[in-house]
Amino acid sequence: MADQSTTIGKTEIRKDAWQKAAGKALYTADIPVENLNYGVVVRSQHHYARILEINKTAALKVPGVLQILTAEDIPGEKIFGPLIPDQPSLAQGVVRHLGEPICLVIAETRIAAQRAKEKINIKYQPLVPVFDPVLAVKSDAPQLHQGGNLVTELNVQDGDVEGGFKEADIVLEEVYYLPRISPGYMEPETSLAVWQEDNMVTVWVSSQHPFTDQGFIAAALDIPISSVRVKSAVIGGAFGGKEDSSLSILAALGAQSIKGALKIVNNRRESFLAHPKRHPAQIKYKLGAKQDGTFTALQVAAYLDTGAYSSYGPAVGMIFSETMTGSYRIPNVKVDTYVVYTNSPISGAMRGFGSPQSHFAVESMVDTMAEALGMDPLKLRDKNILHPGDKVFTGVTINETANSLPDCLENILEIRKRFQAVKPSPGKKAGVGFALGSQTMGLGANVPDDSTHRLEWAPDGRVLIHLGSPDLGQGLATAAEQITAESLGIPFDQVATLELDTLDSPNGNVTCASRMTYMVGNALLDASAKLIQELLEHSSRMLDVPAEKLTYKNGQIHKPDGSSIPAVEFVSRLAEESITLLSESTFSFPYPEETTPKHLPIGMPHVLYCFGAQIARVEIDPELGMIDVTHFAAIHDVGKVINRHGVEGQIEGGVATGLGYALYETMLQKDKGWVDSFTEYLLPTAVDLPPNYQSIILEIPEASGPFGAKGIGEISLVPTAPAVANAVYDAVGVRVTRLPITPERILGFAD
Amino acid sequence: MNQIEVIFTLNGKETKISGDPNKTLLDVLRDNLGLTGAKDACGGEGECGACTVIFNGKPVNSCLIFIGQVMGQKITTIEGLSVKGVYHPVQKAFVEAGAVQCGYCTPGAVIAAKALLDRNSQPSDQEIRDGLSGNLCRCTGYNKMVDAVQLAAKEYSNG
Repeated sequence: MADQSTTIGKTEIRKDAWQKAAGKALYTADIPVENLNYGVVVRSQHHYARILEINKTAALKVPGVLQILTAEDIPGEKIFGPLIPDQPSLAQGVVRHLGEPICLVIAETRIAAQRAKEKINIKYQPLVPVFDPVLAVKSDAPQLHQGGNLVTELNVQDGDVEGGFKEADIVLEEVYYLPRISPGYMEPETSLAVWQEDNMVTVWVSSQHPFTDQGFIAAALDIPISSVRVKSAVIGGAFGGKEDSSLSILAALGAQSIKGALKIVNNRRESFLAHPKRHPAQIKYKLGAKQDGTFTALQVAAYLDTGAYSSYGPAVGMIFSETMTGSYRIPNVKVDTYVVYTNSPISGAMRGFGSPQSHFAVESMVDTMAEALGMDPLKLRDKNILHPGDKVFTGVTINETANSLPDCLENILEIRKRFQAVKPSPGKKAGVGFALGSQTMGLGANVPDDSTHRLEWAPDGRVLIHLGSPDLGQGLATAAEQITAESLGIPFDQVATLELDTLDSPNGNVTCASRMTYMVGNALLDASAKLIQELLEHSSRMLDVPAEKLTYKNGQIHKPDGSSIPAVEFVSRLAEESITLLSESTFSFPYPEETTPKHLPIGMPHVLYCFGAQIARVEIDPELGMIDVTHFAAIHDVGKVINRHGVEGQIEGGVATGLGYALYETMLQKDKGWVDSFTEYLLPTAVDLPPNYQSIILEIPEASGPFGAKGIGEISLVPTAPAVANAVYDAVGVRVTRLPITPERILGFAD
Repeated sequence: MNQIEVIFTLNGKETKISGDPNKTLLDVLRDNLGLTGAKDACGGEGECGACTVIFNGKPVNSCLIFIGQVMGQKITTIEGLSVKGVYHPVQKAFVEAGAVQCGYCTPGAVIAAKALLDRNSQPSDQEIRDGLSGNLCRCTGYNKMVDAVQLAAKEYSNG
């Protein structure tokens, strides 16, 4: 029998695509449940206020209303939070941001729930809010939480910064401002909970970590964790924003209170106001360089506005700080980062996790420095890029992945020539700019980061993956299937992935941090080897041949006489003996003791890096300030392509999100609230993206990765905004230090 | 409560529904008829295109259509595109071109692409982008959607 062709690196068609294209994939809101009731959340109308009274009397009289829950009705934990428990599921006496949940109205129909919501009368005593993180850390600012408004202060220092600046011929300083942006997943937060006769609750979630939801739900409902079954439906995108719980807790509380079934769907306005965003940042960035371009010192003081509750703020602060040196060798570094509570919407995890913010500063400054030195920005970068073996300021030694940086620059050199040769359209000014990017993988040192997944060889011949972490839509399941198919030497079509269900699935940990192909892939490589071993032992018993004389290859057990028997025959016979062929494996993100620095807080440092570069050509109308990105290229090292379409999709989607950050997106304050709809918050559309686009994929194998693969999910949007800003400067000589780069900023009508 | 009765052609079949006149076509498709392919991503404001259906040959946001407006009209939803398990060329092209990631915008984008190809079977790159400009997607960056429409256009010209 011929060898099965290998699947790694191919464009296998993802199996869920057919259902999705047919409109038959079931997302949480689509799941049919009998006797379903609807929950609507009553939210704060104030940025900051004391709640004096909640009057539910009139609302409870609305026909069809079943219950109206407030904080008092929560039987267990009233507070949750992924890192610091500081967020009430329903407000307790005070609201700290506009849109904060106060009551949950449960009714037989959505319309009845809406009507009742309008009849709830809440008396507030408004308090003076604070929105600027710099003001919020001052002692005279309103104190939002016990312990003050400073959530975390991170101070990392390496070398002699003062001495480094003295050594410099040029020292430049600039303040960069980054806006609050939305993850912008298309499926708003949704949860569906069903209370069962046996006092179990089943909750469908659209979540990056259903096991976290399970814990929060059990605590809030004051029931054993084993009484909570959380199931992952098809997920309509997450991008970090669905690492936080919230609606799942409310849906479960509601189901418990009515002893029935309840669905809650946030509308887009609620999603904008009440679910985590990318942190707005203010970054004071001071860089010193010698006349020959060598960087000598860096000093950064930065504020991240985490909003009313901390969410993942402290962890974002870490990667934000760690990526402040970008892809460069800088010998003397001091970074001070302050993560601060304000009365703004909550900020937390979003694709890039601090690195898109830091890189806007790093890569804008490197171009500014190049101009001050009279150097080509490409040459300046080439002089300072990291090389394998370099130690960055956190003490991490950069591995072979840094070999991608010269490749990135070589590609940029060639593409830049091409882009510069394109003549500007009549009346337009053209410019070309580029940026490098770095992103870390993993949750950080000393944070438990174990990912467990299971394989089952079913009697029908299929190998089933009990995937312990949800596929958010990026194609994790497909990568897992390809890696499993390759490891077992069986066709891709023979492998299938089961939807996550906490009742059955192993805990694969949260889907995030550019590390899922890496974690899942490594676990499944090991699980495959164990499955083969298990199969050999059973076949040895059944054939009465010593196991060491049998070999497994491509789905067949080969006997010493040269004949072979399909593995599935043994699997069927095992099924007759009521034995299921299973294997499970846990992969733990490696933090080698000898190379992991110990002087940093838990969660720091991150030891594996991804690098990439992006280049943009823009055309600007000098009178109107309108910007067109006409050409774009993205160069990224992925270690090894597992699924080509998957990798390209991650890069193309990342660039689109990066262009939104660069040019359009900002959740501004408006009237007495915030921009909270797609009418004013502009996501890039098909016409906004450069028609002339190219992805260049580098494959420098990551020694610890499955087949050499590493992460790509986040790095793909990191260099985008500074590349565009640098192109804008090249075109019209305006250095924009505040995103998004709007026509008003180009024309100098806004700072 | 006030109820109205509406008869219209849905995916080629005469369909009768009754409901609150404040209900939108999207509500009725999802809640009353169990057709959950059309999605709501913007809160019923006509901004995202995830609920796109074909209304007498034209793509519309079903969240902006009140049920009274569909009386006697012809509506095609994503569920009406594949016939007896055979996928429509646009569905097939979206799958094969890698244009499907999380998939939440996919039904709306497929419908918009079909409506485009029905009126212009050989669109240019720019015409495809214009045709998809009402459909927000956060995953794909749209490139593979454009590829998909080009791929489907080939099928249209062959068919």
